[in-house]
Amino acid sequence: MKINNVAVIGAGLMGSGIAAQVANAGFPVTLLDIVPDGATNRNVIAESAVSKMLKPVKLGSPTPLMHQRNAKLITTGNIEDNLDFIKDADLIIEVVLERLDVKHDVFRKIDKFRKQGSIITSNTSTIPREQLVEGMPDSFAKDFMITHFFNPPRYLRLLEIVSGSEVSQEKVQIVSEFCDINLGKEVVVCNDTPGFIGNRIGTYWTLVGMVEAVKSGLTVEEADAVMSRPIGAPKTGLFGLADVVGIDLIPHVTSSMISNLPETDPYCIAYSEQEKLGISQLFSDMVNSGYTGRKGKGGFYRLNLSSGSKVKESRDLKTGNYSKSIKPKNLRSVKAAKKGLRALVEYDDKGGKFAWQVLSKTLSYAASLVPEITQNIVNVDIAMKNGFLWKKGPFEMLDALGPSWFADKLKSEGLEVPKILEIIGDGHFYSEKDNNLNYFTIDGEYEKVPKPEGYLSVSDISRGKTAIFRNPSIKLWDMGDEILLAEFVSKMNSIDPLIIEGLSEAASLCESGKFKGLVIGNDGTNFSAGANLGLASFICNVGAWSEVDKFVEGGQLTFMSLKHGSFPVVGASSGLALGGGCEVLLACDRVQAHSETYIGLVEVGVGVVPAWGGCKEMIRRWNADSKSPKGPMGSIVKIFENLGTAKVASSAQEARGMKFLLDDDDITMNRSRVLYDAKQTCLQLVDGYIPPEINEYHLPGLSGKAALDLAVSDLVKSGHATPHDVVVTDKLASILTGGDTDFLDKVSEDKLLEMERESFVDLVKTEATLDRFEHMLTKGKPLRN
Amino acid sequence: MSSDAVICGYVRSAFTPAKKGGLAKVRPDDLAAGVVNGLIKKYKINVDDVEDLILGCAFPEAEQGMNLARNVVFLSDLPKDVGGVTVNRFCASSMQAIHQAAGAIVSGSGELFIAGGVESMSRVPMPGFNPMLNPSLIDVDAYIGMGHTAENLAKQYSIGRDEQENMALESHHKAASANDQKEFEDEIVSINGVAEDGCVRPETSLEAMAELKPAFDKDGVVTAATSSPLTDGAAAVIVCSEDYANKNSLQILAYIRGMAISGCSPEIMGIGPVLSSQKALKRAGIKLEDVDIIEMNEAFAAQSLACVKELGVEMSKLNIHGGAISIGHPLGASGARITGKAASLLKETGKRYALSTMCVGGGQGCATVLERA
Repeated sequence: MKINNVAVIGAGLMGSGIAAQVANAGFPVTLLDIVPDGATNRNVIAESAVSKMLKPVKLGSPTPLMHQRNAKLITTGNIEDNLDFIKDADLIIEVVLERLDVKHDVFRKIDKFRKQGSIITSNTSTIPREQLVEGMPDSFAKDFMITHFFNPPRYLRLLEIVSGSEVSQEKVQIVSEFCDINLGKEVVVCNDTPGFIGNRIGTYWTLVGMVEAVKSGLTVEEADAVMSRPIGAPKTGLFGLADVVGIDLIPHVTSSMISNLPETDPYCIAYSEQEKLGISQLFSDMVNSGYTGRKGKGGFYRLNLSSGSKVKESRDLKTGNYSKSIKPKNLRSVKAAKKGLRALVEYDDKGGKFAWQVLSKTLSYAASLVPEITQNIVNVDIAMKNGFLWKKGPFEMLDALGPSWFADKLKSEGLEVPKILEIIGDGHFYSEKDNNLNYFTIDGEYEKVPKPEGYLSVSDISRGKTAIFRNPSIKLWDMGDEILLAEFVSKMNSIDPLIIEGLSEAASLCESGKFKGLVIGNDGTNFSAGANLGLASFICNVGAWSEVDKFVEGGQLTFMSLKHGSFPVVGASSGLALGGGCEVLLACDRVQAHSETYIGLVEVGVGVVPAWGGCKEMIRRWNADSKSPKGPMGSIVKIFENLGTAKVASSAQEARGMKFLLDDDDITMNRSRVLYDAKQTCLQLVDGYIPPEINEYHLPGLSGKAALDLAVSDLVKSGHATPHDVVVTDKLASILTGGDTDFLDKVSEDKLLEMERESFVDLVKTEATLDRFEHMLTKGKPLRN
Repeated sequence: MSSDAVICGYVRSAFTPAKKGGLAKVRPDDLAAGVVNGLIKKYKINVDDVEDLILGCAFPEAEQGMNLARNVVFLSDLPKDVGGVTVNRFCASSMQAIHQAAGAIVSGSGELFIAGGVESMSRVPMPGFNPMLNPSLIDVDAYIGMGHTAENLAKQYSIGRDEQENMALESHHKAASANDQKEFEDEIVSINGVAEDGCVRPETSLEAMAELKPAFDKDGVVTAATSSPLTDGAAAVIVCSEDYANKNSLQILAYIRGMAISGCSPEIMGIGPVLSSQKALKRAGIKLEDVDIIEMNEAFAAQSLACVKELGVEMSKLNIHGGAISIGHPLGASGARITGKAASLLKETGKRYALSTMCVGGGQGCATVLERA
């Protein structure tokens, strides 16, 4: 059995998010919800859910859909008239109200219409599977499991699966693989216990975090300054996270947790402490006055717009008054955290003490829950990293602190030491042996960390090995099967002369026959944020123009050697691939793109033009496509629009329409599989590889440029373009139209590269471009000058 | 000179907003053929007598290319031995088509013509797909954006934003009320089931208009609300000799009494109607005061108001069923619409003289004077 068709029952935030992700994966999906009382349009809930998917809340903010077109895969309806729509569904996901009676009612309805053997799952976060199958026929129970997604389903990668003894291993495998390979999820199988893994530990962390913050009299800013980046959690911290989740939602989750847990559980103990301290009251006061978090008037933080500009304010936990948020400056512990987690918790200030109070409880709690909630510690770490976006999981944090140091400190404070910490003694939860990463099992042994087939990371490849070539910005690794891997390791993987040197070395290694193909990829959040602007700014400010020219030309030559060398090159991208990062991908024969790859030639934003073949490559691509608009200007206008406005594709699917990716390029939904898939693609290209030819192009010349210039001058008048935009796009227009050429003549790629280079050097000599560099470096956003 | 040229019939398609309206997915040649067939059917003309199909189109490329008019002959009920010519005078293309037909008639080069125009602004975008401009013409503003010409006139004639918005509101009210009174029912030919105009916004208000940002110049006064919208549509009229009409029992709506073209500076192209109207009136031997029906294309409120001021137009005579701001402005079709409308209004109201006139991108004016039969 294979999942080809999916139904989602319940079109709320989660249900529609899940349906959108199924559509993103290219599968047809039916989305049903109830008929609201007195509705004239009986499908109104599901239909408006789909229209919300298409319209971002704010212009440019991410949507659940990776491409507008995916909405066509979603069929909407209601559960009164359209349950027959689910008859073809192989997987039916229930995402209705968190009420047992409501869920049972829906299950019975589904059961009548579903095809035999189809799998039903519930997205419940609070109700045990045991209760969900109670009273349902056996035939239902053996097809039923829990698939717990995290919000938003497109971006949060954790998926918890809870199955039962009556469900076949094969069915669990089918669902796991679908969620992993197709939906891109990090799948963790866990036991049928309250809150599973993520919410059990994650909400306990916020619970004790708030308790300890109030006990030690910290402000929300202080608490969040500690419980965020310093411990490897997202910058929202505890209170900020509560605002995102919804102040109204949190009491629901915690109360359902305590109702399903024994009174002696640390969770319940922390909860009663919270009650005593008046935090529960605080939550209900906030909800009653409309402070439900970001979706409402605000929460622990709010944006006050009354002065005409946005002022971030935070709530006083005692008085409930709001005042301007002040970043805590006196917390030295936060600075100390740069030296590691231990430096933080040992630091003698209120931040250090707070960190210890929260982490000692949270990590002990996590350590005490294996194997109650799941079979191994790895699942716990995966869950916290992918569901709560922690940099390290609880056991990795314990390793960072030192398990024996941690246990001793607990003992010295008279606290209970979890069994697994007693057993591990002086050891660590993870250890490397024979190029493998092993973990500590509940039996006190070390076993290889399990990974689904097809997962591959640079850390897997490099573990216990020496790089073939390395400098501070790039490393080259042997991937096996005669494929070479180039890993960028510079800050934000930005491109500098050292990366160019490394890529050039990679090309030589492949040309020499030592390797048959090259993969360019890394484990980072971003493939590459672009050229190293700081370095470029420095060189320009000292007026080392010949160095600038050398840097640009060096990149061009190297990228041409990748593109036209006798070996295949595959880019493995995820996250940002901007400017020079995009140009690396454009120089590859193929790209194996993670679905969440954000590609764009954004050079104009910082006052330059793409000069590592970006312009040339866009002309090449649009020219090669028989579906491109015809005529001398048809595709040039499209390229000019995309590059002139520094457009970035919001997904790999969208990048195809802009030709940053081509039809032959492949998209991988699961981040952990990108590198493996890239290697496979490279291996496929090796046999009989023929490098692409270098082309010449008919370009419109000065007549075309006049048209582009006119369009820009209209944009200036209407206030959509700035004076320096005119200077920059003048160069861009000149390159794209082929300079002073006639449409009947052909322009060589060499000529285009020369124009790119000259334009780049001319532009960095202008003060306005250097101002743009400076602004981007200091403010992180483009200057509109 | 064999005979006077007369207008004996007028139809159009519904005018719908580009890209989102009901005609967005109709090819312009099919759209024009639908209107031509509607004209033939409504007035029961003998297709074998038609000399030529003269069609105006402002961007005759892609689906509007390949001598559009000839292809519309094939697509319509016209026989193959009727000719087809596509003419381009940008916005005045289909008024030019009427002028060419009238010219042919008075020179004895044919008796019965179908003159009209079409523009799918959905399917062929405004500067065309391949704008290739002569760099030496940039400085003379040959290609200046139309919105900027409206801004220039607003400045030159001190026309404030309020005044423009009042005119736009008025235009919508007039069109909406004409529609309520079924004034368009007779002239609109249903194409693919689309028989209602889509650009008119009866619900619009001065408050809503005041919210809009300037569309062309960040410090300017011209907004989307005071500009004609991008529109899809087609229109056509029957132009024939008076003799032919009489012999074949075609009811004459109006005589064509004067026609004129004039040029002006491209950066104030919107003032074009002034000189062309004066020339056409003079040729008809009348004065503007003698005219009761004025159809002046509302490319922009600022542009229309400048012409109103310069010519001294009485507002009560102007665009009584609404103008291009509310009804829409499918470039190549508008000249036939306003001239056909002016002729119909003469018939309907019993007034004697009508003037139809419009401005043209690049700096031109075009005008036609009509007299009731």
